[in-house]
Amino acid sequence: MIEYLETFWKYLPVLLQGLKLTLIIAVFAVFFSVIMGIILAILSISKNKVLERIASFYITVVRGIPLMILALFLYFGVIKNSMSTNSAAIIILAINASAYMAEIFRAGVQAIDYGQTEAARSLGLSYFQTMRKIILPQAVKIMIPSLMNQGISSLKDTAILSAITVNELTLTAKVIIARNYKAFELYSYAAIIYLVVIAILTYLSKIVERKSNYNQR
Amino acid sequence: METIIQCEHINKVFGELVVLKDISFTVEKGETVCLIGPSGSGKSTLLRCLNKLEEIQKGTITVIGEDSSQVKNVNLYRSNIGMVFQHFNLFPNYTVIENMTLAPRTLKKLSKKEAIEKAEVLLKRVGLFDKRDVYPATLSGGQKQRVAIARALEMNPQILLFDEPTSALDPEMVGEVLDVMKSLAKEGMTMVVVTHEMGFARDVANRILFMDDGYIVEEATPLEMFQNPKTERCKKFLSSLSLI
Repeated sequence: MIEYLETFWKYLPVLLQGLKLTLIIAVFAVFFSVIMGIILAILSISKNKVLERIASFYITVVRGIPLMILALFLYFGVIKNSMSTNSAAIIILAINASAYMAEIFRAGVQAIDYGQTEAARSLGLSYFQTMRKIILPQAVKIMIPSLMNQGISSLKDTAILSAITVNELTLTAKVIIARNYKAFELYSYAAIIYLVVIAILTYLSKIVERKSNYNQR
Repeated sequence: METIIQCEHINKVFGELVVLKDISFTVEKGETVCLIGPSGSGKSTLLRCLNKLEEIQKGTITVIGEDSSQVKNVNLYRSNIGMVFQHFNLFPNYTVIENMTLAPRTLKKLSKKEAIEKAEVLLKRVGLFDKRDVYPATLSGGQKQRVAIARALEMNPQILLFDEPTSALDPEMVGEVLDVMKSLAKEGMTMVVVTHEMGFARDVANRILFMDDGYIVEEATPLEMFQNPKTERCKKFLSSLSLI
């Protein structure tokens, strides 16, 4: 047991370096996926059939492909050496998450009773004023738990990016194991670190959720 | 008398389904016109065409001298026509007073101070001044609908459209909403009311339009319609409500 902890202490700084990259990639990827998700959601609720089809096609394709395949294909098949591994990782993860984000945004907006739109429009508000003042504030509140979930999901998905040589937490552990064969120790350390980070994020998301609850019912 | 709404030969189609067939009628300024008829007859759709929540395929609708198909600014057009819905459609994320002041302030019709003062006067009028700062969820159905009426009035509309304003209410709350509507009618507000409240139609309406299957089948004063309906369909409808 003491040896287990000593080894942990010894490798912690290196593992935290890996965690740092994990977090950086996750944060950027989630940020871009939110922007892409909003655009895709706007396309998919637009009355223009062509735009709607494009969004729906994109979402179907991305959601239908395992992240591992998406990463291998894009990194080794398309991106190759045209950019740094970390940038590629962010793009790949953002593409993956954007499809799920789009569905969260679309469902959130569509969950709001259409009567709200009609009431706002009948008062003379424009489409965008209605969205900004009436629909989105209500929709965002519904979306918060799902958005938090997707963010946490994407954070865990960074582990898969070890397959395209991103030096994040999982690959860091793997590399150390290749040297000292301590698979039990190092994979468990990585697991503990992921667990702690995600537990903290989950706790924070609960707080955000509670704070966004206005006196509605 | 000044004609404020004029509909000429309008047709409205949903896909294959023709819901409004050759509808023509006028509403004079200050009049209360009730639309009655069985469900699915096109009453609500007709109402929604008046403020362009629905588009018509044929005919013309002229509101306050403006051809609705030629409207450049649909938002300005709508802000002159208040609408009250069956399900109130108050904004749950805003308080009562915010519900009322949001549109005039966003559209810069009134300053914040003016909007609040006006809203307070209107809230007193519908008897809900003490509910000024609560969220709609804490109100009863009748109170919600009175706030919805006040919210529509805050925009200073020249016409008010009511889409079955009492159909979603518990019976004991119908009266308080109808009372507000009666007092508006008395003051000369132009109102078009889709309703199943035949008592209200009889007492308040200047004219009643009976609709069935997309047509205006009969148009008459309340007295004529309830005492002596001319058409078989209208007779049948009214007798099914055991009113004649």
